[in-house]
Amino acid sequence: MTDQATADGVGRQTPVTPPDSRSARAGRLPRALHPGAWWLWALGLATAASHTTNPLPLALLVAAAALVVVRRRGDAPWAFAFRMYLILGAVIVAMRVVFRLVFGGGQGDHVLLHLPEIPLPAWAAGIRLFGPVAAEQLLGGFYDGLRLATMLICLGAANALANPKRLLKAVPGALYAVSTAVVVALSVAPQLVESVLRVRRARRLRGAAGQGLRALRGIALPVLADALDRSLALAAAMDSRGYGRTAAIPAGQRALTGGLVLAGLVGVCVGTYGLLDATVPGYLGLPMLIVGLATAVAGMLLAGRQVRRSRYRPDRWRITEVVVAGCGVATAVVMAVAGSVDPVRLYPPVSPLTWPELTPLMLLVVAVAVAPAWLASPPTLAAHRTPRPVLIAPNGTTRSSPKRDTSESEAQR
Amino acid sequence: MTTALRVAPRTAVVLVLASVAALATFSWPFFVPAQPESMARTTEAPLVFVAVLPILLALVLAELSSGGIDSKALAMLGVLAAVNAALRPLGAGTAGIETVFFLLVLAGRVFGPGFGFLLGAISLFASALLTAGVGPWLPFQMLAAAWIGLGAGLLPARLRGRAEIAVLACYGAIAAYGYGLLMNLWFWPFGVGADTQLSYVAGAPVLDNLHRFAVFTAVTSTFGWDTGRAITTVMAIVLVGPAVLAALRRAARRAAFDAPVTFATTPGPAIPPGQGSGLGVRPRNPRRRPDAEESPPPPSPGWRPTTKI
Repeated sequence: MTDQATADGVGRQTPVTPPDSRSARAGRLPRALHPGAWWLWALGLATAASHTTNPLPLALLVAAAALVVVRRRGDAPWAFAFRMYLILGAVIVAMRVVFRLVFGGGQGDHVLLHLPEIPLPAWAAGIRLFGPVAAEQLLGGFYDGLRLATMLICLGAANALANPKRLLKAVPGALYAVSTAVVVALSVAPQLVESVLRVRRARRLRGAAGQGLRALRGIALPVLADALDRSLALAAAMDSRGYGRTAAIPAGQRALTGGLVLAGLVGVCVGTYGLLDATVPGYLGLPMLIVGLATAVAGMLLAGRQVRRSRYRPDRWRITEVVVAGCGVATAVVMAVAGSVDPVRLYPPVSPLTWPELTPLMLLVVAVAVAPAWLASPPTLAAHRTPRPVLIAPNGTTRSSPKRDTSESEAQR
Repeated sequence: MTTALRVAPRTAVVLVLASVAALATFSWPFFVPAQPESMARTTEAPLVFVAVLPILLALVLAELSSGGIDSKALAMLGVLAAVNAALRPLGAGTAGIETVFFLLVLAGRVFGPGFGFLLGAISLFASALLTAGVGPWLPFQMLAAAWIGLGAGLLPARLRGRAEIAVLACYGAIAAYGYGLLMNLWFWPFGVGADTQLSYVAGAPVLDNLHRFAVFTAVTSTFGWDTGRAITTVMAIVLVGPAVLAALRRAARRAAFDAPVTFATTPGPAIPPGQGSGLGVRPRNPRRRPDAEESPPPPSPGWRPTTKI
């Protein structure tokens, strides 16, 4: 991660004009957007991708997500995860195609090549491996896999763009304790490395130069004990700062939240069953599921009220966030419209083989999806925040930017 | 056995209901009917479930932590999750070596089922954030790991010594295979797609689909990844299990989760012992005015400078 960050940072340190003067001209200061906005945008793109198997809009959606990521990501470690999602998407597409190749399925007329058939014994459900490979069959696997990969890559874009730690701060009150535990975990994990180094140094000073399993135990167990002791110290620190107070909730309200959650979950169970069993009436399916979830979530949000917490510099939901999230929603909506107008173009038939086509609506979808690359405010980059060399102003006073110095470690937050 | 996190009856019911619904989100390919109108549902169902499971998981996590987690339990959760998250990349990439489960099993054993459930979920979440592996699979992984931690906490409490290690090792092996099966089951419809000979067939008898799934999982992972994971887990439990258990039990004793919290100087009647302890729905100290002070942020709050520079 760090070498990538520096490798990318080299390119960014070169600009002669301070980069924020450029964005100030555009009327926007670099800032990190509310993570929820990026997630809504990405979910909108993923929803749009789920509505088509046409490789052309899918590829364009991937390109749109990639462009937005490249233009608007910060330089925190998670910002470089996008590459991994691209690789994963490629793996999924390859896997779908290979599975079609090996295990057959989706027969077609245009046989590309004949592979020797290998019938498997009866315990394997009478499956035959290989055999004739048809173009339709491979293309079907490719379309399916590309759709799934596109949805995955869209979510990967959200991963790269949104700051997970800030997202954790935005969770509802009922999940406050859990999110605190996650924050503790994220902060403690780097300290473990330091702990390992300390234990190793202490071992070496004692002359214990063991190798292999014995050394592993000699290091791992002290590190674990150290971590556990640290947790008790942390708990004491949290107690002394007033963590863990709960508001007094009247018994009636407790019963209400509990009843809502329980009733909602029963609804979810029934709805799941209804969704899978087509013999039950339709209202027991998806509607029931949604109503159950809504009820349970309402109970959860109500329960969250007993958690009292203050927020330090909360993320505000401003116009840029609305625009970015709106782009995602619009992408999904326009794609749904395109699907109802022209379903055949969105699901190009595999047999007979046809060339996939683009329609103006699909291009509109992609245009809306890529808009945040320009509409979102530019990211804050650590390279910009490094304390600038002290400039000697013509009148002889030293000029520096004291406010910027405080934002050093923001990228890691 | 200490319980770092008390599971109230209502929480248990919520946990069971949510687990039943969540199990359906894993195993739906076995039950999809073959009627024409459900063919549309067959493509929709996985997406619906991918959206539903995170909410279910959030519900259970919120319910488990309702009434507030004791700060010692919470710090322990965070630290153990950090250790798990740090252990996870050690094995990733090396065929089948999985280093997460043994600590999860041991911690679930020592700190109880509720803690184990939370630890499993939080460990995988933190690890995904650290190594940037957040994706639609994450809630499913979190839930499967949480079930493992929960099960470890539900093992018979009396066992000690070698019998305990033997039981934990067996449980670890079962959990390793079970986790692999569950994740394969989730990935099956996505990874293979429709129409191959290994794909699920909507409306086919459950046994038929089970057979196809068994072949799929045997072909792809059971003999490689899952066996490797089981061996690693069992070996880790047998080799370092006793020492880790001792360290965890020492920490649990020092944390004194079960000790009642009393405030002797509080004017008014003292809180009867037992009421102030634990993590029931009841607030820990109802006499203190909740709005007397503002809650400070968690120990390491994320922050950023104002945008006006």
